Amino acid sequence: MSDEIVQIETPFQFNEENKREFDELIGRYPVKEAAMLPTLHLAQRQEGYITPAVMKYVAELLELSVMKVKDVVTFYPMFFEEQVGKYVIRICHTLPCALRDCKVVLEHLKAKLGTDVASETDLAKGTTDDGKFTLMKVECLASCDVAPVIMVNDDLYKNLTPEKVDKLLEQLPN
Amino acid sequence: MVQERRILYEHLDVPNINTFDVFRQHEGYTRFEKAIADFEPDDIAKMVMGSGLKGRGGAGFSTGLKWSFVPRDIEPRYLCCNADESEPGTFSNRYVLEKNPHLLIEGILICCYAMGIETTYVYIRGEFTLGKKMLDAAIKEAYEQGYLGENVRDTGLNINIYTHPGAGAYICGEETGLIESLEGKRGQPRNKPPFPAVEGVFMKPTVVQNVETLCNLPFIVGNGVDWYTKMGPTYADMRNDPPTPDPNTGTKLYCISGDVNEPGVYELDLGLTCSELIEVAGGLRGEEVKAVIPGGSSAPILTHYELDTRLDFTSLTLAKSMLGSGGIIVMNETRNIVDCLLNIMKFYAHESCGQCTPCRWGTPWVRDIVQRIADGEGRQTTITRPKFGITESGRWGDTGETEEIYEDLDLLENVANNIANVDTMTWNTICVFGIAVSWPAVSYMRKFRPEFEAAIREGKLVTLPVAEATVPPEENYAYQQRIIPQEFADL
Repeated sequence: MSDEIVQIETPFQFNEENKREFDELIGRYPVKEAAMLPTLHLAQRQEGYITPAVMKYVAELLELSVMKVKDVVTFYPMFFEEQVGKYVIRICHTLPCALRDCKVVLEHLKAKLGTDVASETDLAKGTTDDGKFTLMKVECLASCDVAPVIMVNDDLYKNLTPEKVDKLLEQLPN
Repeated sequence: MVQERRILYEHLDVPNINTFDVFRQHEGYTRFEKAIADFEPDDIAKMVMGSGLKGRGGAGFSTGLKWSFVPRDIEPRYLCCNADESEPGTFSNRYVLEKNPHLLIEGILICCYAMGIETTYVYIRGEFTLGKKMLDAAIKEAYEQGYLGENVRDTGLNINIYTHPGAGAYICGEETGLIESLEGKRGQPRNKPPFPAVEGVFMKPTVVQNVETLCNLPFIVGNGVDWYTKMGPTYADMRNDPPTPDPNTGTKLYCISGDVNEPGVYELDLGLTCSELIEVAGGLRGEEVKAVIPGGSSAPILTHYELDTRLDFTSLTLAKSMLGSGGIIVMNETRNIVDCLLNIMKFYAHESCGQCTPCRWGTPWVRDIVQRIADGEGRQTTITRPKFGITESGRWGDTGETEEIYEDLDLLENVANNIANVDTMTWNTICVFGIAVSWPAVSYMRKFRPEFEAAIREGKLVTLPVAEATVPPEENYAYQQRIIPQEFADL
C-alpha cells in the first residue's frame, strides 16, 4: 500500500473475546497509544496478518492516524503484512546456533518443505504452495545452550537434528 | 575446580516452583515481608547502594546510584523491567521467567517499595510466549494472594505489574528504545540526557532494570549487605585519591554456549577466570580454544592468550572488553573468525534501527566488507611510496618503496571506527548500538588479523591453526590490560 490509496472492502473488527482482552489492556496505560503492540498482537492472532483494515481499526481504537500504526507495523519483524502459512517456522541463525550447525537444519528444512527462506519484504518466497508453512530466519532466540533451535508458531524446539525435524513436521496436524 | 553457588537459581528445578504455594514453601515473599516490616524505603535503597550491585543487563551501572537519580517529588514514577533478552549468547532471563516467575515479582515488589512506585511494566520479548504465559499466571496468583493490587498486605501500598510484549526488535533491549516501544512507537532510542531516571516512560521518572538485577534484590534484603558483599571481588581503584572501592559483588548467571561440552547457565561468584568457566561448563569441545566472546556478541573478543582474564565488570573493562550480559561464546580451533564476524555483522546490519546515519549505512557497509572477504574477493593493493635512498644507478634519489596493503581491512576499521571509535570510546550515534557494532568488528580484525589477511591473499576462507591465526601478545592492543594491575589489588 505504498503509493496507491487502498480501498478497504471488508472492515476488520475484534471478536468478542479479543474485544474484552483489549478493554482490559487499554486500562493499563495512561495514554492509549501505549497499547499499540499488545493490540497489534491480538489483531494478528485473529486475522493472521496485519491488513490495511486491521491498521485502520487499530488506529481508530487508539485514536491515532493510520500512518502512525503503519509506522510501527513496519518497524517490528514479528508483524506480517502478508499472508503467512499456518505454521510459521522461525529458525535461529545467529552465532551460537551457527556454531552448532544450524545450517544443516536450515538446508534440511528447505529441502523438506521445498521452499526458500522468506525475507522481510517477501514472505511469499518462504511460504509453501499449500500455505501450510512459512520458513523464516530470525536472530537469536535466547536459547543458545540448546542450539540449534527453531520456533514453530509459539513453541520452541531444541537441540535439533534433521531426524528430529522430520519427526516434528510429521506431528503437526494439517 | 570453582563451585557453583546457586542463589537466584537455587530453586529453579524444584517442581512447580512457578506456583505460589511451592514458591511460598521455599521462602517465597518472606524477603518482601521482611522489607516492609523491618525497613523504611530509604533503608532498602541504602542497602542496594551498599551491596554494590551492578546492573546485569549489559552496561554494569551501579543500581543504587541509578536509584539515587530518581527525583522523589514527581509522581507517578514507573519501573520498567527489561525482559527483552536478545543479546546473542544470553539466555538466563528466559529460565527465570519460565520456571521461577514469582522470584521476579518479589524483586519488583521490593524495588517498588523502595522507590515508591505503583506501576511496573515488564517488557518481555515477543518470542518468549511461554515466559510471558508463566509470568502472567504468576502475576494473577500474586493478585489473588494480595501481594499485588491495592493495599498490598494491608500496608497501604498499591502495586500493579503489567506484562508488555515486544515484537522482535533487538534495539528494544536498549533502555530508551524499550521506553519508546512501550509507549507504542518505533523502538528508536532517545538522546540522553535526560536519562530515564528523570524523564522516562510517559516522560515520568523511570527505573529500568534487567530481570537478573531485580532477582538479586530479595537476597540482598533477606540476607543482608555483609553476606552479599562477601561474594565476588571488590577492587580498590587507586587512580582516585583516596582510592575508591570498585565492587563486583554477588553472583552472576553466566550463560555459556558454543564449543563447550555442557552449555548452559552457571551461577557463580563474579571474578572467576575465563578458563575456569570453560572447565565448569564441562570443558572444551575440541582440541584448543581459539577465541572467547566474554559478554554477548557485542563484546570484543578474547584470544587464547587472554583466557586468564577474570570475568567481572572491572577486569573485562580494563581488558578493553566487557562483561555485558554475561553471554560467553566459546570457539574452538576449527572455527574461522572471518566467518564468525560475518555472522555477527549480519545480525547487526539487520537489527540497526535506522535512526542514525552512521549506523544505518555503516553497519551494512561493514557487513558487506566482511562478506567480500569471506567470499574471497577481499581487496588488496600494492602501493608505491616515494622514498629517498640510493637508487640502482648508485645515486641518491627516489627508490620507490612498495608495500602490500590490505585495503579492505583498513576500510573495515575505518568504517567501524566512524560508527563508534573503539580507541577513544566515542560514538557518532544516539545509543550504544554503534559501539556494539564496531567493538566486535575492530577487535576480531585486530586480534585475528592473520586469518583476515590469509582470506584476502588466498581468495578464500582459510582456517589457520590457532597459534598462527592470533596476533602475538605483544602486538595485541588489549593484552597488557588483561590482568588486574597492582593498583586494583583486592581490598
